[in-house]
Amino acid sequence: MPYLVSFHLGWLIASLLLGFCMGWISVVQRGNGTSKVTARWLAVLAVALVAASFTHVVPGRFGYWLDLGLVMFACYLVGCIIGAWLRDRVVSRSQPVA
Amino acid sequence: MQKLFRWASKWWPGLIPLAVMWGFAAWNNTLPVEADLSARSSAALKETVLDKTRIAVDGRDVSLAADAFSEEGRRDAVMAVDLVPGVRLVDDRTRLVPEATPFVWNAERDVVRVTLSGSAPLPSMKARLTEAARKEVNGVEVADQMGLARGAPPRFEAAAMLLLDQIGKLKDGKITITDTKVNLSGMARDLGGREAIAAALKNLPEGFSIAANEIKAPPYIFQAYKDPVAATVTLTGYVPDNSVHAAIATSASRKFFTEKVVDNLKASIGAPGSFNTAVVAALGALSRLSTGTLVVSDREVKLSGDALYEGAANDIRSGLGKDFPKNWQYKPEITVKPAAGPVDGTVCQQLFSELLNKGKIRFATKRADIDPDSAGILDHLIETALRCPTTNIEVAGHTDADGEDSFNQALSEKRAQAVIDYLVKAGLPATRFTPVGYGATQPLAGNDTDEGKAQNRRIEFLVR
Repeated sequence: MPYLVSFHLGWLIASLLLGFCMGWISVVQRGNGTSKVTARWLAVLAVALVAASFTHVVPGRFGYWLDLGLVMFACYLVGCIIGAWLRDRVVSRSQPVA
Repeated sequence: MQKLFRWASKWWPGLIPLAVMWGFAAWNNTLPVEADLSARSSAALKETVLDKTRIAVDGRDVSLAADAFSEEGRRDAVMAVDLVPGVRLVDDRTRLVPEATPFVWNAERDVVRVTLSGSAPLPSMKARLTEAARKEVNGVEVADQMGLARGAPPRFEAAAMLLLDQIGKLKDGKITITDTKVNLSGMARDLGGREAIAAALKNLPEGFSIAANEIKAPPYIFQAYKDPVAATVTLTGYVPDNSVHAAIATSASRKFFTEKVVDNLKASIGAPGSFNTAVVAALGALSRLSTGTLVVSDREVKLSGDALYEGAANDIRSGLGKDFPKNWQYKPEITVKPAAGPVDGTVCQQLFSELLNKGKIRFATKRADIDPDSAGILDHLIETALRCPTTNIEVAGHTDADGEDSFNQALSEKRAQAVIDYLVKAGLPATRFTPVGYGATQPLAGNDTDEGKAQNRRIEFLVR
């Protein structure tokens, strides 16, 4: 993992920033997001992929790409959480006390 | 938390650019990652001893194929690659180097090269052995055909190094280690080489033993060449030691009375038994030839050349063999020099005087037995006498003044008669010769010094 992070640092930072932007936007975005069912399926898929990665069942280059994708995805998620949290704080401060 | 789920449900559009980025990242980095891991794995294996190492990287998975020299080495190699940061899986395709039974190692020398073959236990040892061979046979090509195998006996390297030290002493031959048995065959380069090798083999490391040592010594050669044009006798080859050298040189200077002796002999061990006796006898025969070559090779004596007359040729052909010790071989190739033209008595006298000025007929002290060293000069005298067949010759004996006059008188007569007997035996008619003894009555020099006495003891030929 440290090797993956250090070797692809630029890409991971980019993923993090992308996530940050998405998180920033998502707080004030109107409209519906994914349905609960879809979200669950996506979560299951993510867990399955993580499991596949840890058990090393995917061989060779595909295994490497899977690991890389998951690490980028993790950074994206972290970016999203940070972005959304910050935006939420900014929004809640600027609103007048009810 | 509910907030978080609400936000998260709106994060999915970012996945599309993320996937695009992922594609780009994979596209850009796959080959660099593989190259980097390959280099790191190779570096990690630097300390381990392996043969035929091949590293293939697929993504972050490393496939390691190599020949290891021990189970431990094999484990260590796989472990070393596994510990390289970034490596996900190691596909272990290592195997142990095959074990050789028996463990055989050869060093073979021929005219142009030294070939090392068989098995060596480790690559580094293989290189050291090749290097040692190169050093030992400075300048000669060394061909390394050694393979690698397990199963070398303990202290193999020390034994092989010691045996490589011997390869320089061989002209050609083969040295083999089979497990702990050592076989040697071939020919030593120099005289004494065989003995030196045998002595060195006593230092073989513990556990090793000599199964067969068939190193032969090169022939022990002594050569003499009589060149009548340059008036030299050249001695080359070997003699066992300085005392034999001195004895042969003295004997040669007595036998070759007209020629200068050029002594190029070298002392070396390895002479066959009775070398001195045989060589002195053979030099005696060579001194009777007008031109000739003597080659003594181990126990074989080859004498070729021209005798001065037929009788001498027969004598040399048949007689010399008896002078040699048992189990020596004698191979004479004697021809007869074409007879010189006849001359009259005056010339004959001149030739006799010249010969007797250059050399002397020698006898045993106080006796009338002709010294065998005088065979050469007697042959020349006979050859000269044959050139003037109509003349009569007085053979005069002289002594020094030591001892009683009557004894000297009798001795001089007996010595003159002994010479005539020799000439008659060689085929000259007895009627042509008259023996005369002068005792000490006609000295050439003073009898007060040894030199003077030596000059006075003489035989003269006077044509009448």
